[in-house]
Amino acid sequence: MECVVQGIIETQHVEALQILLQGLCGVPKDRVRVHEFCLKSGPNLGVVPSEVRLLCDLAQPTPTWTVRHAGGAMRGAGAEQLSVLVRSVVESKVSNNALRFFYAVGYKLDHELLKIGFAFRFQRVVPITVTVTSANRMPRLHAIDDAVPLTPGIQLVEITAPAAGDNYNEVAAAVSSFCEYLVPLLHLSKPGVSTGIVPTAAAAASSLLSNSGGKAI
Amino acid sequence: MEADGGAAPSQGQLAPPAVEAVAPPKVERLNPVVQQQLNLESVKTRALGLYKTISHILEDFEAFARSNTTPKWQDALGQFSMVSMDLFNIVEDIKNVSKAFVVYPRNVNAENATILPVMLSSKLLPEMEAEDTTKREQLLLGISGLPVHMQIEKLKTRIDMIGAACEAAEKVISDCRKAYGLGSRQGPTLVPTLDKVQAAKIQEQENLLRAAVNFGEGFRIPIDQRQLPTSLPSHLADVLSFGDGAQNLGDNAGAYGKNTSSFSSNQGVLQTAGGQLIGRSVPSPSNAVSFDNASTPPMAYANSPRSGTNIMNTPSPQQQVQQQQQQRQKILQLPHQQQLLVQQQLRQSSAAGVLGQGVMSQLHDLTGQTQQKLQQHQMSYSQPMLQQQFQNRQLQTSHMPHNIAQNQINQGSQLRSHINQFSGSANSALFNAAQSSPNSQMITNMSASMQSQSLLPRIQFGLTGGHTQRNHPSQMLNDQMFGMGPSNPANMIAMQQQQQGGFGNISTHTQNLQSGMVNLPNTTQNPNFPQQRQQNQS
Repeated sequence: MECVVQGIIETQHVEALQILLQGLCGVPKDRVRVHEFCLKSGPNLGVVPSEVRLLCDLAQPTPTWTVRHAGGAMRGAGAEQLSVLVRSVVESKVSNNALRFFYAVGYKLDHELLKIGFAFRFQRVVPITVTVTSANRMPRLHAIDDAVPLTPGIQLVEITAPAAGDNYNEVAAAVSSFCEYLVPLLHLSKPGVSTGIVPTAAAAASSLLSNSGGKAI
Repeated sequence: MEADGGAAPSQGQLAPPAVEAVAPPKVERLNPVVQQQLNLESVKTRALGLYKTISHILEDFEAFARSNTTPKWQDALGQFSMVSMDLFNIVEDIKNVSKAFVVYPRNVNAENATILPVMLSSKLLPEMEAEDTTKREQLLLGISGLPVHMQIEKLKTRIDMIGAACEAAEKVISDCRKAYGLGSRQGPTLVPTLDKVQAAKIQEQENLLRAAVNFGEGFRIPIDQRQLPTSLPSHLADVLSFGDGAQNLGDNAGAYGKNTSSFSSNQGVLQTAGGQLIGRSVPSPSNAVSFDNASTPPMAYANSPRSGTNIMNTPSPQQQVQQQQQQRQKILQLPHQQQLLVQQQLRQSSAAGVLGQGVMSQLHDLTGQTQQKLQQHQMSYSQPMLQQQFQNRQLQTSHMPHNIAQNQINQGSQLRSHINQFSGSANSALFNAAQSSPNSQMITNMSASMQSQSLLPRIQFGLTGGHTQRNHPSQMLNDQMFGMGPSNPANMIAMQQQQQGGFGNISTHTQNLQSGMVNLPNTTQNPNFPQQRQQNQS
């Protein structure tokens, strides 16, 4: 299971966000360049289509593949009170013939996207991962080099933390409290809930940039 | 060592006693004015207080060092600034009267004998002296040849100019402070707001991005463009071969997959059985609320105890297979254009998602894709879908005096096998009415609706499969009434409007479903939904 929240930030403030996260997390950022394949099962695998995502990490010297299945979100009154989304997730590293395997089993490529950005992975009560990426679409199949951002002016911020059935409340609280630190720059919410941008983000961003001397870390 | 400018307090303390000690016989008194100005007592107390503060701070730092905790730098800096301010004030006061005194070193011993002259000298260090002379030369550049009083005048004018410049700068700063609201200590009172246009653009971009990342909207490539490129990226080069890739994209199965994907995304919206959408009063974008995206098939709950009409509604396996085959034929026969049209409709507003939900929430237990297609296509493919709808209509309407047995409907599924291209729920409702025991009320209703529909274009729709009992009277009625093939929204709206004067509950429900399908802003339909759900679950 994982707890996840999403938010958006204007591309012009991403550098300030990076500085803020650097200060909060205390770890260096990791580059993110992931080619994501979203595979949907064909009719031979059951009447209900299921979705599996294959992530190819292109930031590493040798590309590493991960398979990931995100399940349905937790529902109920308790889930509604949480400010984060809790959903079941299965993730595993796979070898690079996973794509072939899934095709052979009967999965079809539904869509693919390229996520480019950075991520911070740190520990604050629980291991938290903050990723700031721009979603890029490819005009032709697998044409990574021609990928263009789907929304050039806005990037996606996603905060996830692994959880278990018995501790998801603490994890949710940890993620929520961390989100409080990011309030000057962005609002975070459950995936699918639209938040808008923070109007005063420009002022916060400029103060962050000026404090650090405008140097990229 | 006391003979240091920095140790002014001790200097002040020592000088009078030194004076007195040296000449004990002559009890000299300091000039009372000087003494008053010196104010020894206060200097002593202040010096002692300063000493205590500094030692206290040092103790705190030692404690921090011992306990390995980080000191609170804010407090430490504050204390330090206080201490330095105190020291500065004391030194200033002493400086005023230091001219009256001379430093007389007392403890001259071996260590400090050599350093004393250096410390006592008032001559500047060579470097400092050189710096001083260069500055002096800079200052008097050009006017050093003039007589002194003229030099003085020139320097004075310079000072005045600098003073004027400083004043102007201060004025500018204060004006700016007022303009930006920084003058007051409370901070900016105006919260910068985005103008509407900008906010709308950002909102649109945000929705696009969220939908894209969560559901893949906007990333799908049309079928005809899904050919493998001649040069694959390096990480795919050995993964895919030309043979593999082409099979797994694009084709009809891909279209099937594409449709199902977009359906399932919307279906997630429409089928949150937990009622999350219903609980919200704000209509959210159709993709925005779907938590169980296509990855969790909502149909997983199809046979769970959660769905009320579980057992009765599952068609027999034979029928199911038959239906699926026919569905697939239908899908393949769908023109590409219509698929795109449907996809466009899927992306439209929240109303579709919100309104469709109440009806859709009942449709749990039938084959997944069939339901999806009916929900979002204007042409319905599946009989199970129809079955369910018919059952819904039955349960909801008061026109039906009795709940039609599900078996009856299941039996009739073979009759309906040819009706693959429905264009509206009104048709299904009418069909439903026709299927039930035709009482007079039904017939009058049907005739009314028939009349309304007679204005609509009669488009032939393709019939496939075997028609077993075409001579059923209700069947004939249905054929005539359902003369709408691939209709467009205009027809739907027209039909809906015409039917408003018709029968009661059925019409409202049809309106509901239609608005769910056709993206009509019928927000008035919302109150019906809780009602519907309750009725269905009872």
